[in-house]
This record gives sequence, C-alpha cells and structure tokens, in this order.
Amino acid sequence: MRSTTKSALEDLLRERRLAADAPPLRGEDRRLRPLITGIAPIDALLYGGFPRGQLSEVFGPSSSGRTGLVQALLARSTHGGALAAFVDPADRLDPASAAAAGVDLARLLWLRGPSRYPGPKVLAEAVSAVGTLAASGLFEAVVLDLVGVPEVERRRLPGATWIRLQRVVEDTSTALVLLADGHVASGPGGLSLALAATGPRWSGPPGPGRLLSGLGAQGAAGRHSLRRADFLLRTLA
Amino acid sequence: MYGGLHVPLPLPSESALLDLGREFTPRVEARGPTPVLLDLHGLGRVWPTPQALGQAIVDEARLRQLEAQVALAWSRATALVLARGRPGLTVVPAGRESESLAPLPIALLELDVAQLELFARWGLRTIGDLARLPASGLAERLGPDGPRLRRLARGEDDGLFVPARAPAAFEMTLELDWPVDGLEPLSFLLARVLEPLCAGLVALGLVDRSTHRRVLKPAAPSAEPRTWRTLVLLDLEAHPPRDAIQAITVRAEPTPSRPVQFSLLDPALPSPERLAETMARLHSWTAAGRGGAALLLDTHRPGAFAIGTFAPGPVVPKATEAEGAPRVALRAFRPPLPADVAVRGGAPAFVAAAGIRGAVAAHAGPWRASGDWWDVAWSREEWDVALAASGSGSGLSVYRIFRDRLREAWFVEGELD
Repeated sequence: MRSTTKSALEDLLRERRLAADAPPLRGEDRRLRPLITGIAPIDALLYGGFPRGQLSEVFGPSSSGRTGLVQALLARSTHGGALAAFVDPADRLDPASAAAAGVDLARLLWLRGPSRYPGPKVLAEAVSAVGTLAASGLFEAVVLDLVGVPEVERRRLPGATWIRLQRVVEDTSTALVLLADGHVASGPGGLSLALAATGPRWSGPPGPGRLLSGLGAQGAAGRHSLRRADFLLRTLA
Repeated sequence: MYGGLHVPLPLPSESALLDLGREFTPRVEARGPTPVLLDLHGLGRVWPTPQALGQAIVDEARLRQLEAQVALAWSRATALVLARGRPGLTVVPAGRESESLAPLPIALLELDVAQLELFARWGLRTIGDLARLPASGLAERLGPDGPRLRRLARGEDDGLFVPARAPAAFEMTLELDWPVDGLEPLSFLLARVLEPLCAGLVALGLVDRSTHRRVLKPAAPSAEPRTWRTLVLLDLEAHPPRDAIQAITVRAEPTPSRPVQFSLLDPALPSPERLAETMARLHSWTAAGRGGAALLLDTHRPGAFAIGTFAPGPVVPKATEAEGAPRVALRAFRPPLPADVAVRGGAPAFVAAAGIRGAVAAHAGPWRASGDWWDVAWSREEWDVALAASGSGSGLSVYRIFRDRLREAWFVEGELD
C-alpha cells in the first residue's frame, strides 16, 4: 500500500513538473507507468499495459474482444479520475455498454462521425481531432476507432499520418490506441496487439433461457506474435 | 394622379419602362419589367391637362421604340389595370374609376389560377361582375382575399406606393477656378470631393458598419491572455466576420475564481484554460452535436442517450474499484440495420443484412422488452446470435438482433465485440 501511494505521489510530482529538474535518485525509474487494462493476462502480455507517449494498436476480427478490451482500458483510466477520449468516425460506440464496462462517461470525450460509412473527409477530420487531443496532454488515453473503415479509405490518408501522430504523442503522457480490423500502425515503443476470437460462451445447452455468458479471445503480441494470452469478456446481462 | 405604363409584347428590358417613367417623375414603382406605376402628382404646371401629360408619355415611349399602353387615373389600381387592359392612352376622370374598370375582363386582376377557375364557375366574366358582389359574402368564401379583390375591382387602392430606388451615381465634380499643378493642393481638393462621396455611401447603407459580436464562455474563468487570444482566433475562424475589421473592442466580465480543493493523491485536474482551448479546436465536432460527454437517459428504451457538454468536474472518490472482469461491448449500428431473418423452429436460422450474412450457429433468446406505450411505443424480441460469417476464419461473429413486434420486421442492433 505504501509503495502504491509513493509511486502515485511520484507520478503526480512528475506530471506537475515539480521534479523535472532534479536528477533521478539511485534506482529511480522516471518512465511513466503504462496504462493497464485490468485484464491480467493481457496486462502481463503487454508487460504492464499500453505505454504512454506511444502509438499502439489493437486489431482483430469481429467478436474478438477488441472493443471490450479498449473499453476496459478506458474504464480503468476514467475510474481513476483521468480523462479519456474516443474518436469514433463510424459512430459505433454504445454508451450504455461503455458505462456497464465501468467507463465514467463524464470523463470520456466522445467524438462521433456523422454516419456509419465515414468518407475520406470524416476520416481526415478524425485523425486531425486525434492529433489535437493528443497534443493537448489532457487525456490519459485517446482511442481512434477504425473498425469497419475499409482499407481503401484508410489508405487515402496521407502516408505520414501515423508517423505524425506518433510524433505528436511522444512528448506527452497520453497513450494513443488505434482500434481496427487489421494491422494499421504502431510507434517504435508502442504495442501491436492482435486478437483472435476463440468463440462465444453460453450459459447452458441450447433452448429457452440460455444466455450468452461471454466471448473468448486470444491476444498475441510481439514481433512474431509468439507471446499469447487467452482471456474472457463477460456479457452485459 | 397616377400613371400606369405597360408594354404587352415584346417584353421590355428590366429597366426600359423605369427609365421612361423617370423622365417624368422620380417616383416610379415597379414589380417587374412591366407594368410600372408613375406618381404624377404636381406636374400640372408643365402639362396643364392629364391628356397632354399622357400624350407626352406616349410620345416619349415611341421615341424609345416602345409601343406603350398608358392609363392615367386618380387611383393606382385603376391606372395599372387599365394600362394592362386598354391600348393607347386612357385618361380616367376622378370618381369614374369603378365605371371605367367594369367592362374589362376579370383576368386583368392579379388572380391565381385557382381564383380564376373559381370565378369562372361563379359566372364572373368582367371586373364589374366582381365589383358588384357583396364584400361580406366574398370574405366568407375567400377569406381576406375576397374584400381585397373587390376593392381592386372597384378601383380602390390597397397598401402604399413604394417607389423604386433610383440607381445611385457616386460621382462628384469639383470645378476649379485656376489649375492646380501640385500634389499637395490637390490632396485638399480631393478631400473635399471624397468626404461627401463617402458620406453618401454610408448614408445609403452601402458601407458595412455592422458590429460582429461574439460571446465566448469558457468552462472556467481565465486571466491568461494567450488562452483568450487562441479562443478568439478559433472562434473567428469558425464564425468569420463579413468584412475587414476596422476596430476591436473586448469586454471581459469578471468572475470570482472557483475554489478547488486539490488532492495530492488524485490525478491533477485538467487545466481549464487548456481544456477550453482544446474544445474550441474541436468546434466542428461539438457545434454539430457530434462531440461531448454521453449521458444515459432514464429510460429502458435501448440505445437512448444524449450528448452533453464535456466539462469533467473534480474526481469523486468511488466506493469500489473498477471491476476486474471485462465486459463484452456492443458496437451499435445507428440506426439498426434492417435484416432478413429466416426462422426455423421459432428461432433465427439465417441472418442477412448490409455487410452481414451467415447461418446461425448458436443463439440465445428471445428476450422481450417494450415500453413508452403512452408515447412512441416500442416492443421488441431480442436474440444474441453467433453467425458462421464468411471471411472471419474459424471464429464466429456474434450479433444482437431483434424483431420489432410493432412493425413485424427484423433488425441487427449491433455486433458484440
């Protein structure tokens, strides 16, 4: 408990730049702690969580737990009092399910696209908004949801888009996360987490009264996806 | 006395009759190229009789290659209708307006098609037929238009004479007694010409002296000039003034600062100035209602939420930690996707919607819900279905679908992810 309080105090002093000029103490690690998701196997797989000041990505097919995992990250972040942002060009976030996942909606800035099929203009606006949010330094986590955006639309963005976002975020304590169907980009110190669905879990045999109890998924990280971890997302019901 | 001036065919140019009328009077009313109405009061000293005045107008029109129909009368309505209805020159003595209009066809009044058909069914052929009808009966059948048309048919005026504005000529000449050969004396003379010219422009409202007023209300009071400068610039970028700016006035409303109890252990509150600046930069999202904090509404209706202003307050200590077990998220389709669902044995067997297609490998449900019967009622039967969707490898895609029991239609509400 004491060590938790001490580390929180040190982080706070560092965030307010009260200890910026002081040399590090012996053994002191001045790197900001990564953002944890609260899903133990995934946090272990990611060596503690999503790194701050880096562009990371979470991708996978439908029902592979991408959104649930990112909402767990946002829940942890906003529950602790920090601000988070969800840039949603395809307007797919469901606030009720985010609230059920523990996200403090008052501390989550949600930017919604005008329709389910974001065109190049909306995508460019979304990327620009992500840059603004990341550069402000106010948000602990900024998520750009690109799920459902066709690759052809994504490729219309300028080639340096992701490099530019990485440059914007690297001097801040913000973790920038891309949520997508497939690999998009990640920064040099960022994470690339590939998810795969391992199938839904049901509460019993087929028949009336059966519930969807959860979705099983497997995450793989690392250059060759050699490190893997299984996890389960519970349903809302 | 008023003069009606009309050229039936060919249609004159926009300003031909206006220019012709202005040869006689500065007060000319025109609702189109033809006819135009002239205010001819006070011209008795130049043209002793209305006949002479009318003939002068006809002659002037001929000089301009216009075959004009001219009517002079003491009411505006009479002059205009007669000018449209009678060739050549017509002069109506005072008090004979109704009598002179009576034989003319009723179509010369400004009637729409429905009114023309109605009057034809009533058997009205001439303006006199209409003028003889009782005002109260017309009002009962046609509303306010009835008495208005009757007054028009009797040659009685409605409304005011609205003269067309004369084209402004911004030109001024200053004749000098002796030649000027230096720039310095010329500058004084130029000032004497330019000042009244510019004053004329201002008087006619051709110079935009409007005030572009904007009110900025940041989430928290601030005394940071850099923040205010950024906020003002961003606001002006989103709402640019109509013209170049000549003067700036900034008025601040002092507000006592908010006492905030900081905590060493909680995360630092966001700087209000920086938050206001960031939200101003996202104006294109927030102004369209597409950005802010989601608010759940107090209803059981699925997908009900509102977007509020993003203004996070101080951290409220939570009784419990964030729950460890993560939840499945719903990726909603807004609006829900209409779907074709094949039902077998009372349960969905195949689902097809835009971008979604597959046989149901497993399902849970149905769960029935309904509400708002006193307002816009909704009633649905919900299913969670796992589809063996093509292209997703061995994994199953899980969707929430529902049958709208009021519309008897299936929809895909979202994807469980």
